[in-house]
Amino acid sequence: MNSAYNPPFEHDAHIGSFAPLVEEPVVRFQNLTKTYRMDRVQVTALANVSGVIAKAETTFVTGPSGSGKSTLLNIIGMLDQPSSGTLTILDQDVSRLSDRDAADFRARHIGFVFQSFNLIPVLSLRENVEFPLLNRKIASRARRAKAMEYLDAVGLAEFVDRRPGEISGGQRQRVAIARALVTEPTMVIADEPTANLDTKTSRDIIALLDRMKSELSTSIVICTHDTSLITPASAVINIVDGQTAQE
Amino acid sequence: MIWTIALRNVVKNARRSLTTGLAIGVGGLAALLFAGFVTSIWYGVQTSMIQQQGNLQVYRNGYLEFGAANPDEYTIKDWDRVVSLLAADPMLAEELAVITPRIDLAGVAGNAETGNSKTFIGSGVVPAEIDAMSGWDGWQIGQVTPASGLAGGGPDSVIVGVGMARMMGLCGALNVADCSDRPVDAADLAGEEQDFSALVAEESGLADQSLGNDQPQLNLMAATSSGVPNIARVVIEAAEPQAIRAVDNAFVMMHFEQARSLLYGDSQEATALMLQVANPERVDAVKTRVAEVLDQAGLDLGVYHFTEVDPTFDRIFGMFTFMFIVVSAVLAIVIVFTIVNTISMTVVERVKEIGTIRALGFRKGFVRALFLTESVIIGMIGAAIALGSAVVLSNLVNASGLQWTPPSNATPLTVQLMVLDNPVFTAAVVGALVFLAMLAAVLPTFKAANLNIVESLQRA
Repeated sequence: MNSAYNPPFEHDAHIGSFAPLVEEPVVRFQNLTKTYRMDRVQVTALANVSGVIAKAETTFVTGPSGSGKSTLLNIIGMLDQPSSGTLTILDQDVSRLSDRDAADFRARHIGFVFQSFNLIPVLSLRENVEFPLLNRKIASRARRAKAMEYLDAVGLAEFVDRRPGEISGGQRQRVAIARALVTEPTMVIADEPTANLDTKTSRDIIALLDRMKSELSTSIVICTHDTSLITPASAVINIVDGQTAQE
Repeated sequence: MIWTIALRNVVKNARRSLTTGLAIGVGGLAALLFAGFVTSIWYGVQTSMIQQQGNLQVYRNGYLEFGAANPDEYTIKDWDRVVSLLAADPMLAEELAVITPRIDLAGVAGNAETGNSKTFIGSGVVPAEIDAMSGWDGWQIGQVTPASGLAGGGPDSVIVGVGMARMMGLCGALNVADCSDRPVDAADLAGEEQDFSALVAEESGLADQSLGNDQPQLNLMAATSSGVPNIARVVIEAAEPQAIRAVDNAFVMMHFEQARSLLYGDSQEATALMLQVANPERVDAVKTRVAEVLDQAGLDLGVYHFTEVDPTFDRIFGMFTFMFIVVSAVLAIVIVFTIVNTISMTVVERVKEIGTIRALGFRKGFVRALFLTESVIIGMIGAAIALGSAVVLSNLVNASGLQWTPPSNATPLTVQLMVLDNPVFTAAVVGALVFLAMLAAVLPTFKAANLNIVESLQRA
């Protein structure tokens, strides 16, 4: 399956002056197409999109609302399956995995940061960060220690026993980042992680993601319509009308 | 952590959880109280019947099938030797509290003073042994049956049914409550009834028996085993109500020796032997042993559980068990719908959370387990409410002294709601509540687990 894969990706995925050479891609996608049927009309959300996500790099997926960037993220994050095309993560074709195998793959390799944080409201911050580790065979004491470590890394060690409703939006997103990273995934998908935050907090969050990426060698994929957040040395995939756009 | 999340969500939605728990609790309360009542019936009616006729009865083989047509052909010959045989067995000597003979008989009763006569059905028993049987309380439920009153009288004394007393025009003479004498129209009497005063007059000595005795008397006529009419004059000790009106109108209980001499003269015959086993848990073992002893002695006798002889208990218990099943089924449906509604609402409110959990790599099974756990917790809350309130209410009812009369009894029994007296049954009801809660949540939890992740995450 991998032999069928045929770069170049650089032309699609790394646009403009921010595009570095892709030395070690962890995600490769080729000719991804996603169509929906809405009432009686067939809608194409993505059309033949190809690209790569490099290891330990931040990749921004940008584009106007409704352009298909979230659809691309959902497919890369294995929350959705493409109508056609292939998705390879760590050299494994994951385009057509069963629901169960996809869940297991996500648990091992993908972390998520959502626009509205999506923390579990009845759990404390520590428990929220600890939560994804339930998928691993880790003793509860070790789980707790690891959650504490990551909460400390995002600067929230003093709030561990609070509930999500008791902290600010920016702090919640920090917890969400700690939760996404605590399993030490190959890649973190962040869908509009700053949409509900003010400008300063948004920049702090992007900086935090960038720092964690460097410390943990994790690939970060950030979907945003705010191009001002794009950091230097990041890769950019610009989606317009369901297709990658050249700048 | 599943339990932590589930428990905290139950607490978070405290009002809804409590309302659902209360619905389960009220349903469970009804089931437990009804179960307590059925348990009470099981113990109470059995105790009552065992007090009257023992746990086991020995009959001549074929009596239960054909004895009614020709009772004299199916008597137990030399009953006293059979009793000795059973009493001599070490195991039975230890297990049997009472072994006593009984004669069932029928004939015509007449009262010369009122000029009434009618057919009677009766039994001859040993009063002291019958009274000993009435004190049996093998399950220690505190149910007391008063002594027959026959032991207080002489060997000619009898107890009659209240209906019999009324028919004989003896209510006033016997001071029977709620019983009034009416003139008996000969046309109302059964066809076989006859005035046999002339026959009585011919019997030497009968007229003398009544001399010097102010108590009401009856003349009882029955056919001996050889077909010859025999007559005895008996003194009515008391009138006691019987469970079945037809029996009450014809009932006469007399001393065993009186009945035996009336039917069999000097022959030691009896219709049945009633065996009362001290420990009800040992009845089956005792029955087996009695059968072995009778078989080894080469006797043409069989031993039967009292429910084999008289199906009343099985019918009563079967009826209430069926009612319990119907009531429980209705309650179960209500509980299931309540739980389905609650969990469905919870799922709708937490679609985004479900999407998040799935996105984080948890399988559908985790989502199902999460919501099933919540449902189980709510079920446990409901079961606790049901059990707690059932214990309190049953104690209140038991203390109130309410009474009811089962179909097998003439006298009422005190209502005892035995909620905790059958731990296995109570545990089964409580377990059923939790299981129902879990079962009811299956459909909504499967729906939750099958939600599309992307669509779930897009929910506001």
